[in-house]
Amino acid sequence: MNILERLSSQAEQVEVVEVQGENTSVGFEANRLKSSQVEETKGIALRMVRDGRLGFAASSDLSAIDKLVDNLFESAAYGDKIPISFPGPQVPAGVNVFDSNIREMPIPRLVEIGREAIDIILEVEPEARVNVALERGVEHLSLRNQAGTDISFDRSPFSLFIDISRVQGDDVLILFEVVGATVWDEDTLAFARNAARKLELAQRSATIRSGRMPVLFAPSGSLVLAYPLMLGLDGKNVYTGTSPMARKVGEKLLDRKITVVDDPTLDGRFGSAPYDDEGVAHRRTVLIDSGELKGFVYDLKTAAQSGVESTGNGSRSLFSPPSPSPTNFVLEAGTTPLSDMIAGIDEGLLADSALGLGQGNVISGAFSNSLGLAYKIEKGEIVGRVKDVSIAGNVYDLLQNVAAVSRETEWIYNNFRLPYILLEDMNVVAKQ
Amino acid sequence: MRQRMLDAIKRSKADYTEVRIEEREDTSITYRGKDLETASAVIDRGGIVRCLCRDGGWGVSTFNGLEDLASRVEQAYECARVAESEEPIELAPVPAVEERVTILLERDYRGVTMSEKLALTEAYNNILLDHSEKIVDTDTRYLDTFSRVYLATSEGTYIEEERPMVTVYGFATARDGDNVQTAFESHSGQFGFEFVVGLEDLYLQAAQRAVDLLGAETVVGGTYPVVLNPLLAGVFIHEAFGHLSESDFVYENPQAQEMMVLGRRFGQDILTVFDDGSVPRARGSHKYDDEGTPTGRTDLIKNGILVGRLHSRETAAKMGEKPTGNARATGYRYPPIVRMTNTAIEGGETSLEDMIGDIKLGIYAANMFGGQTMLENFSFSSAYAYMIRDGQIAEMVKDVILAGNLFTTLQNIDAIGNDFHWGDTAGRCGKGQGGLYTAEGAPHIRIQNVIVGGK
Repeated sequence: MNILERLSSQAEQVEVVEVQGENTSVGFEANRLKSSQVEETKGIALRMVRDGRLGFAASSDLSAIDKLVDNLFESAAYGDKIPISFPGPQVPAGVNVFDSNIREMPIPRLVEIGREAIDIILEVEPEARVNVALERGVEHLSLRNQAGTDISFDRSPFSLFIDISRVQGDDVLILFEVVGATVWDEDTLAFARNAARKLELAQRSATIRSGRMPVLFAPSGSLVLAYPLMLGLDGKNVYTGTSPMARKVGEKLLDRKITVVDDPTLDGRFGSAPYDDEGVAHRRTVLIDSGELKGFVYDLKTAAQSGVESTGNGSRSLFSPPSPSPTNFVLEAGTTPLSDMIAGIDEGLLADSALGLGQGNVISGAFSNSLGLAYKIEKGEIVGRVKDVSIAGNVYDLLQNVAAVSRETEWIYNNFRLPYILLEDMNVVAKQ
Repeated sequence: MRQRMLDAIKRSKADYTEVRIEEREDTSITYRGKDLETASAVIDRGGIVRCLCRDGGWGVSTFNGLEDLASRVEQAYECARVAESEEPIELAPVPAVEERVTILLERDYRGVTMSEKLALTEAYNNILLDHSEKIVDTDTRYLDTFSRVYLATSEGTYIEEERPMVTVYGFATARDGDNVQTAFESHSGQFGFEFVVGLEDLYLQAAQRAVDLLGAETVVGGTYPVVLNPLLAGVFIHEAFGHLSESDFVYENPQAQEMMVLGRRFGQDILTVFDDGSVPRARGSHKYDDEGTPTGRTDLIKNGILVGRLHSRETAAKMGEKPTGNARATGYRYPPIVRMTNTAIEGGETSLEDMIGDIKLGIYAANMFGGQTMLENFSFSSAYAYMIRDGQIAEMVKDVILAGNLFTTLQNIDAIGNDFHWGDTAGRCGKGQGGLYTAEGAPHIRIQNVIVGGK
């Protein structure tokens, strides 16, 4: 039975999405291989526009198609009236997101990589407890609609999670890193060496005063700054009017050192794919160009609501309708070498990671976070870890005046590529 | 189902085998501003097999197709053989049970039409929208979910448990120029449709608070005595302390065991903290956990002294303690891990008036936006707050984020209110596997010397 045909005769527009996935993972707990897991996923999601109303339904139970269709009709009967148009056939972005090395990687190889990562950490910190998870998978998505789109593509996501804890008396240090890709990167262990370097720097401790001082955000720390921007650039928040950037396209909002790009066309990256999850071809979208706001990310629905075109940022999981989401969120590199940035700080803070990211009134740009891992910089040197420190401010104020953006960038949390960002004058609260 | 599960287990070569199957139907409705965003239903059905080879490790297989359970068992067994434990993994004994746990809903939402659910959600959304011109966005949700979980183990346990949940949320965003403020309320429990009707006042409060926050100043950062309202106190104890009492953190970590050694003083005599997965109809309650262990009350801190912790069967065996019914999984995609259920600070004797009365300059912090802990360090944000000046609640302040060190902060709790209640907000805990239903309970509490981030 062909669901697309069956539904097309009863509705103006129909979309059938089928997903299928296989995922294999191994998990190390407290430095030892503890478990391994295989996961198979299957499901179908339907959308339909009937009498101008949009409906959605999904199921992972492929034996219950009639119930799925009933749910779809009920959803469309009450659905909202939106002038959405499912896209016709489009030329895909030329991007490589499938690697048979990942698909065929045997479990023993995953185990070996995990062991090597743990050894790198234990070499600098023999007391550490390291949890590592490695995941490799294949995702297949097929999408058909009444406008003639009939696409399917495979991706091979690979992710590494490392979670390090070191307890000495009442002193706890936790470090968490995630890296991901869709094409095999020979230097898989770079992230572990990076974590080891951070641990090494944290072996000495330092104290810092409260007050105003320069703060250097490491890539993992600069998520504090990037995350509110990401929400503000989301077409849904622009449409609803909650984004502080709404109606400001063309204005220079931030320092000219800040350029933000959404780029799903980067080969082998976690957020890359030839199409978005609604069959719209992917493309690179400049969102903020040297401080000037250029645009937002949209899916089909928020684009229709806003009277613009989708930017190919429709993103969905099986059980939820699409919504706009960045693919690879890139804050472009600057021109200053990191070593110069550190060397130029007489007394300041290096913020490596923040606690409570996304808490509070994030959309407004306001943040206030205590720092999980932070270092004191003194006379151009990182001198040791500082604890019980918090920072606060508003991204839209702070980023109007950026002292420097590093030449170096890092990929963090799978799909963010961020540089080091130096803010000259921030309020730091430290417990004495 | 029972026979198919038992047949598959019978053929397993593993030392321990467990099959869990979940069938779930959800209805969700979302209004965003004036627009109905979704009104849809999903059907989710899948399963997980978990095998233990004592001298190997755990192997897991998860799937949507339920046709061939025996081959899933075989797959999980192969995975279990990959790991190599140094010492054999043991599971603390629990009695085998055979039980069907059904739940009776006063007005079963599965029989309520989509149009009635929509009408309710729209009415709540209109309360937010119509309250003030300054309300520029709303996010109003209705969600019901009904799961039936089947659990069978190679030790002879077979449990079928119904797990309902109905939830409404209201999120109001007010804007005045560049000043954007949000306020949030929710209401959730293992009840029928009756539980989410008649909540107009809750939505009014959210709308009014969003508008009030527009006029609030950002709190001046510093160190203050802080009074937490019961909802925030509950989240605080979950985040700042609860996660440390989850034994998967300590069971293979000698340093952490030393830090969390039973008998250690954590607070003053007035402080008692517990977890209880058997509170009737609370969000974190089940009769059995996802390993088939019955749930119940576990004291964690009693009169200031650490007396207990939360266990799965594996962590209990490893530490020579009793399983506590805290092995929980966020659905069939995940094996159970040690999680909190309903976690609480037991009520005390101080009235709110007395608690505030002798504070010259402090903060009254209410409800939560979120919280996170990095073990000894924590950070949690209050949804709204007021200054306390000369023993009185004074002006509203915003952006109040409380941070600190667990050990000193617990010691600094110097008053516990006489107004304990269980929160019925839509709390979820994100440890490892994404949102799992939890509840928190507490009275008002007072903490001295809290670091408050601000300008």
